[in-house]
Amino acid sequence: MKKYIFAALILLAVTACGDDKNRDLSYPRISTADIEASPTNCHEYRRGEVIKFNYMFYDDTELGMFNIEVHNNFDHHSHSTSSTECTMDPNKEPVKPWVFNQGYNIPSGRTEYNAKVDIPIPTDIDTGDYHFMVRLTDMAGWQQLQAFSIKIVE
Amino acid sequence: MISTLLAAALITCQAADSTVVLDSITVSGNSKRNYQLRSTMSGLQISHQFLETNFAGSLMQTLESVPGVKAMNIGSGQSKPTIRGLGFNRMAVVEDGIKHEGQQWGDDHGLEIDQFAIDRVEVIKGPAALLYGSDAIGGVLSLYSNHVPRERFQGSVQVFGRTNNEQLGISAKLGGRFGNFFYRANATLIDYADFQVPTDSIQYYSYYIRLKERRLRNTAGRERDWSVMAGYDGYDFHTDVRLSSNWAKSGFFANAHGLEVRLSEIDYDKSRRDIDLPYQSVNHIKVLSHTLWRGDVVTVDVNLAYQHNKREEHSEPVSHGYMPRPGDSLERRFTKSTATANAKVTWDINDRHNLSSGASVEYQHNRRGGWGFIIPDFETLQCGAFVLDKFTVSNQLVFNAGVRYDYGRTHIHSYNDWYKTPVSPGDSVFMERSGDQRRNFNSFTWSAGVNYNTGGWVLKANVGKSFRIPIPKELGADGINYHIFRYEKGYAHLDPEQSYQLDAGIHWSGKSLTVQVDPYINYFPNYIYLNPTSTYVEGLQLYQYTQARVLRWGLEAQVNYEFNRHWSAEVKGDYLYARQQSGDKKGFTLPFSTPWSADATVKYSYSWRGDGFVSVNAHVVGDQNEIVPPEKPTPGHWTLNAQAGKHFDMGRYVLKITFHADNLLNKRYYDHTSYYRLIDVPEPGRNFSLMVGLDF
Repeated sequence: MKKYIFAALILLAVTACGDDKNRDLSYPRISTADIEASPTNCHEYRRGEVIKFNYMFYDDTELGMFNIEVHNNFDHHSHSTSSTECTMDPNKEPVKPWVFNQGYNIPSGRTEYNAKVDIPIPTDIDTGDYHFMVRLTDMAGWQQLQAFSIKIVE
Repeated sequence: MISTLLAAALITCQAADSTVVLDSITVSGNSKRNYQLRSTMSGLQISHQFLETNFAGSLMQTLESVPGVKAMNIGSGQSKPTIRGLGFNRMAVVEDGIKHEGQQWGDDHGLEIDQFAIDRVEVIKGPAALLYGSDAIGGVLSLYSNHVPRERFQGSVQVFGRTNNEQLGISAKLGGRFGNFFYRANATLIDYADFQVPTDSIQYYSYYIRLKERRLRNTAGRERDWSVMAGYDGYDFHTDVRLSSNWAKSGFFANAHGLEVRLSEIDYDKSRRDIDLPYQSVNHIKVLSHTLWRGDVVTVDVNLAYQHNKREEHSEPVSHGYMPRPGDSLERRFTKSTATANAKVTWDINDRHNLSSGASVEYQHNRRGGWGFIIPDFETLQCGAFVLDKFTVSNQLVFNAGVRYDYGRTHIHSYNDWYKTPVSPGDSVFMERSGDQRRNFNSFTWSAGVNYNTGGWVLKANVGKSFRIPIPKELGADGINYHIFRYEKGYAHLDPEQSYQLDAGIHWSGKSLTVQVDPYINYFPNYIYLNPTSTYVEGLQLYQYTQARVLRWGLEAQVNYEFNRHWSAEVKGDYLYARQQSGDKKGFTLPFSTPWSADATVKYSYSWRGDGFVSVNAHVVGDQNEIVPPEKPTPGHWTLNAQAGKHFDMGRYVLKITFHADNLLNKRYYDHTSYYRLIDVPEPGRNFSLMVGLDF
C-alpha cells in the first residue's frame, strides 16, 4: 500500500516539474503613452460635465477587467498615487455625495487596450474633493491601481 | 481534540517536564531519545528550560529554532505559527490536550495564549489527524501548562524587556503541593510601544509614507493574562481544573490598515505607547479539566473544556461605496464559544500490542457584530473516534497503525447588509452577503508508521491522510474584506480538504556528531485556495474560494558537532516546494510560500556557579521568487544574532539571565511570509531582549 502511494507521489512530483513554464508573474500597466490621458490629478470638473476617461492598459500576457470608482474625499482620508498635492477644500460632512462604481470588460485576448469611457457627473451631487480610482487586472489576477484627486465645482 | 489523549499519555509516560535534558539549541538527552524511539511521527519535545534559556522575545520566536517551524509576523510584534509552511486552520494549536479555538483564520490575528505560562512544548511535524481530528494537516503545536508542583511552595518571577518596541513585561508563577493536592497560579503583564523598522519611509504602490523616528505608527500594545489551577495527583488517579484568561489590545499600523492607504485626523505621533484607531482587542477565557485513571493494563483519560473568545476590531468609520459612514468604530466583533469533550482508553494487551481508542466532540457557536462583514454567524458540531495499535516487534522495531472517522455539521446563518445598495433605477435592497446553509461532512482518515533503530541510527517512516473541514468563511463569505480591500466570495459546496503525506526521519547520533534529515512529500487532491480573479465586484477585485490539486515536498536537516566540553556547533536548514497542479493558478505556488533558510551557530558553554553559555548565529534566508498574486518576489537576506544565558545557583534559589540580540547589523530586509510584506514594510531592526528570572 505504502509503496504504491509513494510511487504515485513521486510520479506527481515528476509531472509537476513540467508545469513550471507560462506563469504570468507581472502586473498590468496603466499608461498615458501616446494619448491625451484623462482624468489627470487635481483636475476640476463642473457638475453636469462629462469625464472623458482615456487611458492605455498593457499586460504581457492578457488583460482582465477594469473598474472605475469615484468617492468623496471630504474628510481627506487618503491621498492620490500621484506625487503632486492638490489644493483641498476644508473638511465637510457629505450630504449627497457622488458614488460611482462600475466594472468594465476588456475584449478577450488583448495585451494592450485603449480604454475610453464617458462618465457624466450628476447635476445634483455635493461639490468638493473626490477620488477617482482606476483598478486594472490581468487574467492571472494581478492588479494595478491608480488614484487621482479631482474637484467638482458648481 | 483527541490531543488531550496524547497529551495525557505523554504526561503519564513521562516524568515531570524538567527531566528532559536540554542543550541550548538542540534537544538531547535520554528522554528525547526515548521519545524518538517511541514515536513514528516526526516530533520534537521542548522543555521549560530550553524555552527559558533560548527566550527570543516571544514563544513563537523561540520556537523558530526548530527547523520547519516559522513565526509569521502579523504586525504589532505578534506572530502566528506555521509548520512546514502550513498555518492558519491547517495546523492545530493544542493547549493541555484541548484544541485552542480563536479566530485563527485571520491574517492579523495572533495566538491568545500566555506564553509565559507554558511549561513545555511538543511540535509534531506532519499530519496528525488520527489523534487530533480536523486541521492537523501541517502539524500540531502542543503546549503544556499543567506541570504539577513538587514542593510545598514554589514559584518564579520573570522580568523581561525588548529594546526595539520598548517592551516591558513581568510574569509570576506560584504553586504548591499538600500531599496529593496541588495548586498553581500565574499572571503576566506586558506593555510595548510602536515597533521600529530600519527605514525612514515606506513606499506602497506609489503611496509614500514618511515614518517618524523609524517607527510604525500605532503598533503599540498591551497584554494581561492570568490563570489558576487546582488538582489532585495520586498514584493511579489524577484530576485537575484550570481557569485562564488572556487579554490583549494592540494597534494596527495606522498608515495602511489593510491595503488602503489612509490619512487621518488622529495625531499618531503624539505618543509611541498609546493605542489609537485602528486597533484590535481580544479576550480568551478557558476552563479546562483533565482526569486520568491508571490501572495495571488500562488507562482512561477524560478532558473537558469550555473556551470563550471575544475579539473586536475597531477602525475609523468611513463611507465606502454605498455604505454610508457607520456611527461607531466597531468594525468587526467575533464572539466564539467552544465546548470540547474527549476521552481515551489505552490498553496494554500484552508485551507487543498497545491499543488505544478515543472519541471526541466539539461544539462551536460563533456570533458576529460590527459594520464590516467577513464571516457569518454559525454553529458547528464535530465528532470523531479513532483506534490505534502500537505493535512492538522488538526493542528495535515498532509499528503503529490506526484509523479515524469524523463527522461534522455546520449551520451558517444568512446575513444582509445594514445599508441599501441600488440594484436598478429606483430600487435598492439590503444585499444578502451570506445565505442560510447547512452542510454535513464525513471524513475517514488513517495513518501507519514504522520506527527502526540500530546502533546510532533511528529510521522512521510515516504515511497518513489528514483532513480539514471547510471553515464558514470559506463556505459563506460574500463581501468586502476591509482589512485587505478585496471582495471575498466563499463557495458553499467545498469538500473537506484532504491531504496525503509521506514523511521520513533519518537520524544518526555518534559520540560528538548528530545528523538528522527529515524529508516529506505531501499531496492535496483539493486544497482550498482563495483565488485572486480578474473580475471586479462592487469596485474591488474578486477573490474566490476554490479547490485545486497541490503538491508539496520539502525537508529539514540538522547537524550538530561537539568539539569538546565547551565548544559546539550547529548547522540546520529547511526547504519547501509547493505547486498548484490544477485550476486557474496551475503552475503557481501557494500564498506565503516559505523560502529556504539555514542557520549556523557556534556556542561556548561553561560552568561557574551554575551553567552558562554564549553563542553567535548567522541566519540566512534565500530569495523567494515563487509567488502568487498579489505577492511580490522577496530577495534573500542574512542576519547576525547573538545569545547568552546564565544560571546562578544560590541555595534554594536559582537566578536566570537570558540575553538575545537580533539583527546585530541592523539590516533592512523583508520577510516573505509577513503580513506587512504586501505593503512593503521591512522587518524590525536591531533588537536586544533581556529576561531575568528568579526561581524559588
